[in-house]
Amino acid sequence: MTYSNLIWKMNRGFTLFSMLFISLFQLMILYLVTTFDTQAMLKSVLSQLPENLKLFLNDAFFNMLTFDGAAAFGFNHPIVLSLLAIVAISIPVRHVSREIENGNMEMMLSQPFRRKSLILKLWLSACLILGLIILTSFLASILSIQIFHELSWKVFFRILTIALNLWLLFILIMTFTLLIATLSKGGGFSGNLGAVITLLFYLLFFFGQLWKEMKFTLHINIFNYYMPQEIMMGQNGYWLDCTVLAGLILILLLLSLDRFEKRDIP
Amino acid sequence: MQKSVISVDKLSKYYGPVLGIKDISFEVSEGEIFGFLGPNGAGKTTTIKILLDLLRPSNGVARILGKDVNKSSYEIRTQLGYLPGEFSAYAHLRMKDFFLLMSEIRKCSFPVDSDLIRDFDIRENDLQKKIKALSHGTLQKLGIIQALFHQPKLLILDEPTTGLDPLMKEVLYDLLIRERQKGTSIFFSSHNLDEVEKLCDRVAIIRRGEIVGLESLETLKNKAGQILEFRAGESCPEPALPGATLIRKQNNHFQYRLQGDVRQLMRRLVELPLSDVSISKPDLEDLFMQYYQDKNGFEDDI
Repeated sequence: MTYSNLIWKMNRGFTLFSMLFISLFQLMILYLVTTFDTQAMLKSVLSQLPENLKLFLNDAFFNMLTFDGAAAFGFNHPIVLSLLAIVAISIPVRHVSREIENGNMEMMLSQPFRRKSLILKLWLSACLILGLIILTSFLASILSIQIFHELSWKVFFRILTIALNLWLLFILIMTFTLLIATLSKGGGFSGNLGAVITLLFYLLFFFGQLWKEMKFTLHINIFNYYMPQEIMMGQNGYWLDCTVLAGLILILLLLSLDRFEKRDIP
Repeated sequence: MQKSVISVDKLSKYYGPVLGIKDISFEVSEGEIFGFLGPNGAGKTTTIKILLDLLRPSNGVARILGKDVNKSSYEIRTQLGYLPGEFSAYAHLRMKDFFLLMSEIRKCSFPVDSDLIRDFDIRENDLQKKIKALSHGTLQKLGIIQALFHQPKLLILDEPTTGLDPLMKEVLYDLLIRERQKGTSIFFSSHNLDEVEKLCDRVAIIRRGEIVGLESLETLKNKAGQILEFRAGESCPEPALPGATLIRKQNNHFQYRLQGDVRQLMRRLVELPLSDVSISKPDLEDLFMQYYQDKNGFEDDI
């Protein structure tokens, strides 16, 4: 058994649940959009709303009501994002902070196992686990589009791009939680901090889109570099988003490796 | 001259302003069982963790097998077996899978029918159990086996007999003696004085982060002199004895430490109304207490 196998073994329950849940969720959304004329239904309801309430519903929302938009929406729903965030935060917390707390890290690092190797193997395993969930979700989307609508190469590549963009976003969340875990003493603390930072970014992103006064925060918000609706509508700029996310991941990973190498294992 | 396996020079560790250990120096030779004695919080585990490169020292140098513990940590750990004070392993793994993980990391095979498994009475049934379902004693056996299975040149054991029944303790003692005969060096931390006395060639006594005694057991005992014990009569509340230091008093039962010439003392003793008089060599507990008594003879830290 390798260390990567161990990480998979310890996380496979929730990973399989997430894979199943997100895939079914994608299937359900696309089934609903193709079965009912949700766009017409919702538009007639929304037209009766007061103007100030309509402001809350931006273009992305209306785009969602198209078939392509709905496919992208499945990758951007709060439930999906929450499940992925739980996986992204829990793996580094569990395998770094908690294992320092419960003594497993002491036992592992007394073996001929380099600290850098442990962090890299953990990071790669977490990337693979996140990738597996997102890949399943991608396959479920493709399958449901094929079943309920019509799959074209253009849609295939756009959904693939969204999946890659989403993967990078959650690798970034996992990597900054990893950095927190390599710095902190307690598992509870690093888990909570990782979750609070993710939630703050999400809320800031939401308010930044809503209010002009907060728009400046978007440039420093990680969620601003994940735009599934825009990708689906064929707007450019996702390569820049992906580059920003990849750059941040690299910096945070290098910092995590350096901090973990230098820290005491109490 | 015997080769030094562990060499520690003026090692200090501060946790912020709090002292962990201060200016610790000692050497452990090849094929030696070295006892590291001290109560909880004295600095035993801090020293061990520095040797394993888990903690980084504030000052000083530690070498194992001639290599710096920080710079050559990986190479050292290939030749080292370690049992932590509170052994912990992945609770959801089966014992068998844990051994597979260890053998994968150490790049050596672990036969489940090995002598170690037999010696510690681990059965097939235990191997299939998840680690979280193991008793404290079996978990400790697992810890001992993982420290020993790759035949290390140096064993670092932090309180190895915790949780073992008397029978298993004997198995461990025999095993450690066999390992020493094979040339393995053993660094053995404990506060169980009986086992240290039984196994160790030399001991270091650590108190409040500083080494206060470092000798072979025999030298330590000789330095400590002899122990005089007696019961005093009613008319003799606390007899003053030349060349003797009172170390313990319980009702009319007295215990003194003797040093140097005892002829004058003997003459004084026959004049006193005493009973049950005995003079003996101190055991390790007496020695230990000596190092843990302050100037006024009061015990601290324990």
